[in-house]
Amino acid sequence: MRHVKTTWAAITLAVVALCLTGSVPDATAQKKGGVLKVGNLGEPPTLDVHWTTATITEVLANHIYEGLYSLDAKSQPIPMLAEGMPAVSKDGLTYTFKLRQGIKFHNGKEMTSTDVVASLNRWGAQSTYGKNLYTRVAEVRAVDKYTVQMQVKEKTATVVISLAIPNNAAAIYPKEVVDKFKPAEKATEWIGTGPFKLVEWKPDRHIKMVRFDEYLPRKEAASGYGGRKVVHINELLWMPVPDAATRVAQMETGELDFADDLDLNAYDRLKKTAGVQPIVAKPYYWLVAVFNKKEGLMTNQKLRQAWQAALDMEPIMKNVAGGHAELYRMDSSLAFVENTPWHTKLQGLPWNEHNRDKAKRLLREAGYKGEPIRFMTTQEYKWMYDFALLSKQQLEDAGFTIDLQVVDWATLVKRRNNHKEYDAFTTGIGNAYDPTHHVYLTPNWPGWTDDEDINRLLAELAGEGDYKKRFALWEQVTRTFYDKVPVARYGDLFGLRASRTHVKGFDTTLMRPRFHNVWLDK
Amino acid sequence: MLVVVTVVFLLIHLIPGDPVAVILGPEANAQQIEDARRELGLDRPLHEQLLRFYARLLRGDLGRSYFLDRPVTQALWERAEPTLILMLCALFVAVLIGVPAGIVAGAYQGSWWDRGLMTLALLGVCVPGFWLSLNFIYLFSVRLGWLPVAGYASVFQDPVAAARYMLLPAVSLGFNQSALIARIARSCMIEVLRQDYIRTARAKGLAERSVIFLHAFRNALVPVVTVIGITMAILIGGAVVTEIVFNIPGLGRLIISAILRRDYPVVQGVVLLTAAAYMLINLMVDVVYAYIDPRIRYA
Repeated sequence: MRHVKTTWAAITLAVVALCLTGSVPDATAQKKGGVLKVGNLGEPPTLDVHWTTATITEVLANHIYEGLYSLDAKSQPIPMLAEGMPAVSKDGLTYTFKLRQGIKFHNGKEMTSTDVVASLNRWGAQSTYGKNLYTRVAEVRAVDKYTVQMQVKEKTATVVISLAIPNNAAAIYPKEVVDKFKPAEKATEWIGTGPFKLVEWKPDRHIKMVRFDEYLPRKEAASGYGGRKVVHINELLWMPVPDAATRVAQMETGELDFADDLDLNAYDRLKKTAGVQPIVAKPYYWLVAVFNKKEGLMTNQKLRQAWQAALDMEPIMKNVAGGHAELYRMDSSLAFVENTPWHTKLQGLPWNEHNRDKAKRLLREAGYKGEPIRFMTTQEYKWMYDFALLSKQQLEDAGFTIDLQVVDWATLVKRRNNHKEYDAFTTGIGNAYDPTHHVYLTPNWPGWTDDEDINRLLAELAGEGDYKKRFALWEQVTRTFYDKVPVARYGDLFGLRASRTHVKGFDTTLMRPRFHNVWLDK
Repeated sequence: MLVVVTVVFLLIHLIPGDPVAVILGPEANAQQIEDARRELGLDRPLHEQLLRFYARLLRGDLGRSYFLDRPVTQALWERAEPTLILMLCALFVAVLIGVPAGIVAGAYQGSWWDRGLMTLALLGVCVPGFWLSLNFIYLFSVRLGWLPVAGYASVFQDPVAAARYMLLPAVSLGFNQSALIARIARSCMIEVLRQDYIRTARAKGLAERSVIFLHAFRNALVPVVTVIGITMAILIGGAVVTEIVFNIPGLGRLIISAILRRDYPVVQGVVLLTAAAYMLINLMVDVVYAYIDPRIRYA
């Protein structure tokens, strides 16, 4: 009898534990059908994913499009439209990609090598990451209907990862679309091979996607952004709701099933609301002050080091996260913890030193006479304004004079490209899946980091194929970064999203939401 | 109109900001931004862009939105219905509250009715629209669950849903506007009630109701109609805050997002439309004057 009781207790405990963790799929079968309404902050500038690095385009477009590769839960590349990983020639200069057969575009046409070659070349001419890779690409050609070959000029470590990243992605379009819209022109026909098909885009009202019935899922289990994708819902309705308070209210009333980019201050309110589950989106951004290294005061390395030494990150991050410890993280690695292959655990880096004496000494050595430093930020992103304001206080305590210039986002992104107009600006750095993809380390991005040592290390990283050697180089980049301080890295800030509890199967570990494998239990 | 067009063009181009940097996203580099600027013709000198704009305008072409991938005229047309419906509903609420409140307050000047209504009107003018809207949402949608928080349905497709969506925005916007109408109506009533012909009417022994409605009210209407006209014109440009809070896809939301993203053709289009609407409404108001007050005649 005692034994039976124990067994029952164990079963009950297990059931309760399963219910509480929520990470294990429900025992009930996935239900098919229904409309999932997602509230997001506005309209994407385009759905042409080759064209922009805008996050909102990435989120929406990746439901419609796929590339040859995708990323698994550990941010490692896995095949998507390619059959498997590419065959690489012995000299490392030829990559052969076998395509999956029977893959249909939303217009009913089968995907073949001609579509892939055309798409990759368009992506290589327009996308940030494509352009980066294509500096090393000699040719991409179709070998037969289902085989594509890429010839690179020199050994390149970033071919597969570049084809796998979801931002500004190497999505495969039908050749007709590529022919119609040259790279510098936004495509206005959105046809992909993804599990969702776009049926209607009514600006300021909704973007309607439906299940693509001819979608052929992969056999492998779902992982990260890839693997087996099954669409259970009939319709995915993206509703632009620009007012954050309205998005929260619509979650409370159930008018929305899911909402993204919520105000961090709504966290407690959402936790208390029955039927709503707040989701902490990790990673989101690490906060950053980018210095102008082309002209002006911040070209002085000592001054940048003083800025880094003066900061006490914890109170800044806590404040920006609305006081919630769950919504920020203190970490000095340039790659997020979630980006497993590239997360570093180096000790003794001059990060978060809050050493005012050191900062004052560096200011003296820099010959700084209290000249105002123009620090540009915006209130359109509250977190940017908050951390700029708190930094100003701490920096001025250490002896800096900060001229905080608050402008709107459109002004900030224009001015940051002009080296005469600022000394530092705020932004957030998202996930970069390869060490060579960190834009703030490159000479072409605002702030213009053109450091000899960093450039040399990045060039070595781009050519080195061995992971261990690459990781060692990446650690060197990190150390050099904290010595040269091209930008000041703050802590990791998380995002807030929410779903109604009847939304099942959503992978909460993803940095950007995906709605394949999600069903509605109502 | 030409002046409006030119001033708007110059103003929007002179404020800093770059649509291309916004479209391309935060990770785009300088070269990509330059290429896209060239593609959109934004690298041309300002006077050349202005001349091109004039030339297009003469052909009735307002240009193409950088963000919406469609002609500006189409974008305006798509958003005209929600804005017009919201304007009419809010105006209806404003007149329904404002005119009677003003008449009562004016007719019974100094009474508790007057004080109470005018305090309410003062509140109506002072309370910010977004605050009122958010409180309405909290009370009627989140707490009581009577009405949806936000959204829009076309009255031509689903009149019931349309009414449910429109009630809160119309009332919160109408309440704000009614305050102004009430105050004007009150002061006009007071002014008219002091006239000799009102004393005469009362001396004749007419009932107070007849004095107020037949003799005073119509004469007090002219300035009230002016204010209603102004209210209409303001609402045509889009009740920006109301449209954003209640997520109504109208012209107000369009212009705000266009300004934030520096979608120059759209900003120009909305301002041009608003200017045209002002002219049209002024004309309508003038016509109504003549109808209300037979003394007003246009040669």
